Amino acid sequence: MALGAVFVGLFIFALWTVGLVGSSSISSALRLTVPIGFAAMGGIFAEKAGVINIGLEGLLIIGAFGAIASLYALSVTPIGASIWLAFAFAVVASTVVALLFAIVCIEFKADQIIAGLAVWLIALGFAPFASYIIWDQTNSPSVGSFSAWAIPGLSDLPVIGGLFVATPPVILLIIAVPVSWYLLNRTTFGMWIEASGEDPKSLDTAGVDVRKVRYAGVLLSGVYCGIGGAGMALTVGQFVGSGDTMMDGRGFIGLTAYLIGNYNPIAAFFASFLFAGLEALQIQVQQIAGFDVSSRLIGIIPYVTVLVVLAFVGKTQMPSSAGDHYESDD
Amino acid sequence: MSRLPTSIGAALDRLVDASPVERIVISIASLLFAVAVGAVLVLVSGFVTECDDPFVLLPGVGYGCYNPLEVYWTMLEGAFGSSSGLGRTLQETTLLLFTGLSVAVAFRAGLFNIGTQGQMVLGALATALVVLELGQLVPQNVVGMVIVIPVGIAAGALAGGIWGMIPGLMKAYADAHEVITTIMLNFIATGVALYLVQNHVGDLTSDSVLTETIPSVARFPTSISDSRFSMYALIGALLVAVGISLLYTRTILGYELRTSGIQETAAEYSGVNAKRNIVTSMTLSGALGGVAGAIYVMMVQYRWQSGIPALGFDGIAVSILAGNNPIGVIPASLLFGGLKSGSVAIDLSLGVPNELVDVLRGLIILFIAMPEFFRMLGKWSGFGSDPVGASGGEEA
Repeated sequence: MALGAVFVGLFIFALWTVGLVGSSSISSALRLTVPIGFAAMGGIFAEKAGVINIGLEGLLIIGAFGAIASLYALSVTPIGASIWLAFAFAVVASTVVALLFAIVCIEFKADQIIAGLAVWLIALGFAPFASYIIWDQTNSPSVGSFSAWAIPGLSDLPVIGGLFVATPPVILLIIAVPVSWYLLNRTTFGMWIEASGEDPKSLDTAGVDVRKVRYAGVLLSGVYCGIGGAGMALTVGQFVGSGDTMMDGRGFIGLTAYLIGNYNPIAAFFASFLFAGLEALQIQVQQIAGFDVSSRLIGIIPYVTVLVVLAFVGKTQMPSSAGDHYESDD
Repeated sequence: MSRLPTSIGAALDRLVDASPVERIVISIASLLFAVAVGAVLVLVSGFVTECDDPFVLLPGVGYGCYNPLEVYWTMLEGAFGSSSGLGRTLQETTLLLFTGLSVAVAFRAGLFNIGTQGQMVLGALATALVVLELGQLVPQNVVGMVIVIPVGIAAGALAGGIWGMIPGLMKAYADAHEVITTIMLNFIATGVALYLVQNHVGDLTSDSVLTETIPSVARFPTSISDSRFSMYALIGALLVAVGISLLYTRTILGYELRTSGIQETAAEYSGVNAKRNIVTSMTLSGALGGVAGAIYVMMVQYRWQSGIPALGFDGIAVSILAGNNPIGVIPASLLFGGLKSGSVAIDLSLGVPNELVDVLRGLIILFIAMPEFFRMLGKWSGFGSDPVGASGGEEA
């Protein structure tokens, strides 16, 4: 109940926010939702399957860096700077890292929290390291980006027409949200994922390999984060590796978005959108000279919100076997 | 998040179950593996980057610029080969002792404090502001120093302690998992500190986000030429490490702090106020993070400035490498301090980005998180009876 109330309150606040900055900002908020929303959905699959993936942020960083580095590398090959190919390479890179994380957690029974943290820290060190190697600085030069697609007909509508001109990652996100929900709630695979996290013993008894389901969950989190990270980087057209990199904690915001959204992809998407809306607001505020609210203070609102929610809600409906290793008897 | 503590508790149990020798072997083996993976990374990077003086030519692949052995040797030389290098190493060691102890204190209580970074950032700011004010009121001599520096440390400890107490309270009374809350609090700490310094308490004439320089009376007296390192700070840090070790081995409070985090219910049954002890552990942990910030301001930077290094995350690696043992934190800090100091040298003389150490930090944490990997490796290499020891020996 408390969770619901907070959620409704947040939603009203977001509407007010969007109203304040104008409806055109919905598009920019959606673009900012890409990394957060994909990380959130990826985290849901991994954790529902029983592996807590706290390394979402690291996977996003790999996705973003992989996309820009691939695009940069492709531009000097005969293939040319194909954005979609770079996007695909980035998703593969993030998924490979997720696979390593899965092996570490499932085969070597590593503590998931510590291993996930390590994934983040490795990515946080590797991306700027590799940026220096390639570009001699932590930030890449501009290498090109996705151009927006206009949906024929709808984009010509007055007032809301702008909403139907979107970059491909945004469109992917809008598609991925209902698809993820359907996968989790209406398919056998979704049932396996659920059982793998809630009651692996029964799943095992039913003849399904818990290990494989867990691998699938973690790999999906890699795919999603790859899309989210690459989607953001290829929208900006550059990789920024200084400080906490261009991801700047978005993976962690995604993580909390799905906690607030109670492991439901649709609710997690809305929570992600709220946080992205705050970020859009922050960017707007920076552009209004003399406006008396510090953008830095607005920037911490998502984190404070999460703390407030956790203080009142405490535990979330976590899958009961998440974090535990599962040993099959046979 | 109620199940999370169980998983960390289990991991701790596994580590605690391992004999001290096993744990040391796992730490050393993890370090060697991380260094080996780092060597591969360096080697491969050498083929990607460009240089005037390549060290190897692979037909069909191209020129390799970096020799991993040379990189590590330069690191070692840079860390210990000159007085300024040694000063830098010991300076890092001192800071890492505090952040490592901060993480270790929480770990001892079954709590994973990822928030040392934020506690340090706010501790540093509190110290800078207090000594900037106090420094003007005291005599500008040794007497002033004896007043200002301890007060500065206390200010850092207080700010860090309060920031650490928040996740402690949330853990004890709202069952909010400390991993999530401390990560959030890190971002909040940085945001709040930047806001305050940029808009209110900083040097508003500067384009950068920084405070004014602290007076000399608030600076630790230097011990090595060409370096800001102070022996007093290091000795203080070592004493704190010994003190915390004694707290856990010799006092009832230490015993209660440990049991409260790891087995809350059992602790409650035996009449221990587990909730209060969780808060105490996190506050102590935060205070140590805050002291790291205080030392950073008074020994290294001489002001608060944006872009404080991620010593809090290094502290996680140090603590885990030390098996969360306060005495073990001492060699682990020296080792990590050497790595960090040496990374400056490889950047300067070989052009290898110093972020290499950040990668190593993550790899060390990753390898130590999976003791099972070494057990399997031991079994696979045929030393079944003493798997862990055997695997370490193999690699060494």
